[in-house]
Amino acid sequence: MSDCTYNSDRMCIVTMVELSSVLFGVSVLAGALGSLLGLGGGFVIVPVLTLVFHLDIRLAIGTSIVAVVATSSAGAARNVTESITNLRVATFLALATTVGALTGAELAGVFDARFLFALFGTVLAVSGVQMLRKRPAQVVGEAVPDKDLVLMAAGREGRAGGGGRLADRLALHSAYDDEAEGLRVPYVVANTGLGLGLMYLAGILSGLLGIGSGVLKVPAMDLAMHIPMKVSTATSNLLIGLTAAASAVVYFARGDIDPLIAGPVAIGILIGATQGSRWLSSIRADRLRVLFVTVLGLVAVEMIWKGIG
Amino acid sequence: MASPVIGYGARTPPSPRGVRAAVGRVLRVGVVVSAALLLTGYVVGLVAEPGAFASHAVEQAHLAGRAKFPHSLVGVWDGIGHGSGEAIIVAGVLILILTPVAGLVTSAVAFSRRRDWLFAAISVAVLSVIFGSFVAGWLSA
Repeated sequence: MSDCTYNSDRMCIVTMVELSSVLFGVSVLAGALGSLLGLGGGFVIVPVLTLVFHLDIRLAIGTSIVAVVATSSAGAARNVTESITNLRVATFLALATTVGALTGAELAGVFDARFLFALFGTVLAVSGVQMLRKRPAQVVGEAVPDKDLVLMAAGREGRAGGGGRLADRLALHSAYDDEAEGLRVPYVVANTGLGLGLMYLAGILSGLLGIGSGVLKVPAMDLAMHIPMKVSTATSNLLIGLTAAASAVVYFARGDIDPLIAGPVAIGILIGATQGSRWLSSIRADRLRVLFVTVLGLVAVEMIWKGIG
Repeated sequence: MASPVIGYGARTPPSPRGVRAAVGRVLRVGVVVSAALLLTGYVVGLVAEPGAFASHAVEQAHLAGRAKFPHSLVGVWDGIGHGSGEAIIVAGVLILILTPVAGLVTSAVAFSRRRDWLFAAISVAVLSVIFGSFVAGWLSA
């Protein structure tokens, strides 16, 4: 940055090309991590835009929403075809997340934001601990009890031990090819009603705080609905795009989406997220879980900090 | 059983291959078209409007969010007519925003072709919630 000048706030003013290059690089990373973990990538993009470049928070959030849609579309383009994403679960749960996001937007300002951040952070921290505890139980693929595997393999009628009646009726149970294990992993979906309720709450929180939809969706699918880790992140990836698309139009109409900032971010995210979805096929489920919980922990600390700071 | 069973106790196969392939295809097309527009817009901007893109510094006004850029369909359309790089980028962003919605429309159609009326109806319900928030947001913006 040879021709760097300073403004009255002693802030380095960069040229647009320099700004876009940095944003592009950061976005490739955010996209890869986001599509791998089923998160939007806003947790990377927003701090960079506001803390490093001192961008107006309004434009930062507008850009972050575009980043979420980009992560989701590029990731899902591959994951849906590869059948890692459970399309039926995503469609059904989208009912709750979209209505929840609308409710959250309506409730904005009703609750104390600091209390919500602290609550959100605590929920994330507890989910992270639970997700780590679940780890030893998984031997092959994920937590599908042996008796269910036997039943499923035999193709017998009747109720699966771990599955729910609602999930039976909606035919949510499925299987995915785990490249890392070289296996087809069948799974049964449990507690669909509880999952739907949790998704509604996740939608409300993300609508209220404008963040963190994926970090709640993945634990809800993993812990409550017993969906394998890879399927949870891929399905969350599809879900966050639908919710974000609904609000992105609002941000566009308000003039919060600056093409010179959102453009380089979107291109970087599309490239990164495409790569991230390739990694999702080949990563081992237990490593994915550890990586997810690590990021979850960082986000939890950030949220609690915002709540008490 | 020679082949692994997909799903369990299901009356219809969960998200049959055809539905997934169709949705995946639509998402891919959306991503590729949008990426092409984003790149084109950036290159056009660099060449045609070096003032906005390359030479001058990012001004305080821009960082504070007071810069002018197209944020209505008419503005984008006019901008593309004038060969504005910014307008082409915004068009790319709009295609990107509509991509998940297009995927949902595709799954609604694909589920109804399979006579999976329940999931066709759920897809349509989600679409109406999204469309509702589009309209509500647009009116309030």
